[in-house]
Amino acid sequence: MFLVVSARGCVEEPHLYGPLRLVDAASRLIEIMKREGRSSEDLNRVQMMIEEGKHLVMYDEEAFVKLLDRLVAELVRIVKGASPGSPIP
Amino acid sequence: MDVLEAIRGRRSVRRFREGRLPDEHLRLILEAAIWAPSAGNAQPWEFVVVRDRSTVEKVKMFSPGLFGDPDTLVVVCVNRRRVRGRGPHEVVAIMDAAMAAQNMMLAAYSLGVGSCLVASFNKAAVRELLGIPEHVEPVLIVSLGYPEEWPRPPARRPLEEVVHYERY
Repeated sequence: MFLVVSARGCVEEPHLYGPLRLVDAASRLIEIMKREGRSSEDLNRVQMMIEEGKHLVMYDEEAFVKLLDRLVAELVRIVKGASPGSPIP
Repeated sequence: MDVLEAIRGRRSVRRFREGRLPDEHLRLILEAAIWAPSAGNAQPWEFVVVRDRSTVEKVKMFSPGLFGDPDTLVVVCVNRRRVRGRGPHEVVAIMDAAMAAQNMMLAAYSLGVGSCLVASFNKAAVRELLGIPEHVEPVLIVSLGYPEEWPRPPARRPLEEVVHYERY
C-alpha cells in the first residue's frame, strides 16, 4: 500500500522524495522481516542507517545523497561477505 | 511561554513516544488554530481530529509523509464554500489554513507537545476514509504527540540573504 500511494505522490513531489520513499519502503520491509524473525544483523544495520538519516532530505539534500551512497556501499560489503549459496538480501 | 521562544524552539517531530494528549491540551491547540488571521476574515478552515488508533493507522497508510506514531492527527481542511466567488480569497484560503496549522504547532510546542506538518498524503483517500464532503478540501495534516526527542534545529538561511530593505 505504501508503495502504491507513494507512486501516486511522486508524480508531483520533489524528485528526491522518490529515493526517500524507496529507502523508507526498504526500512518498512526490514521491519516486517524482523517481526517474522527473518531479518539479520546486516539488514538491521541497514535499517538503522536509513532511520537515522532519511529525514536529511528535508534539511540537507547533499547529505541525503551521501547517505544513499553509504547505503549502497554497505550493501556491497554485505554481498561481498556473504558465503556462497547463502541468501543475498 | 514567550512567543519568540515557541517560534525558535518548535521542531518538526517525526518520532513520538507513547502518551495520550489530555483533551484540554488538544482543545487549547485547536483553539489556537481558529485565532489565525484569514483573508477577509473568511475563516475557511475546518479540522478533522483523528484519535482512534485504527483510524490513525488507516490515515498513515495513505500518507507517505507521515512519520512515527503520533497520538493524534488533525486534518486541516479548506471549506471551499466559504471562499467561493470571493476572488483572491479562494487562492489565499490555503495560506489561511497554513497559518492556522502554524498556530496549532506553536501552541502544541508551548504545551510540550511535538508536531509535524504533513503535505504528502493522498487527499482522495483521506477524504474517503474520513467522510470529508466534496466541497471541503483536506490540505494538510498536523501530527501531534510527545516527542521521543526534540530534533536539533536545521540550518536557516541568514537574514542577510532573505531580507531586502526598501528594494530588492
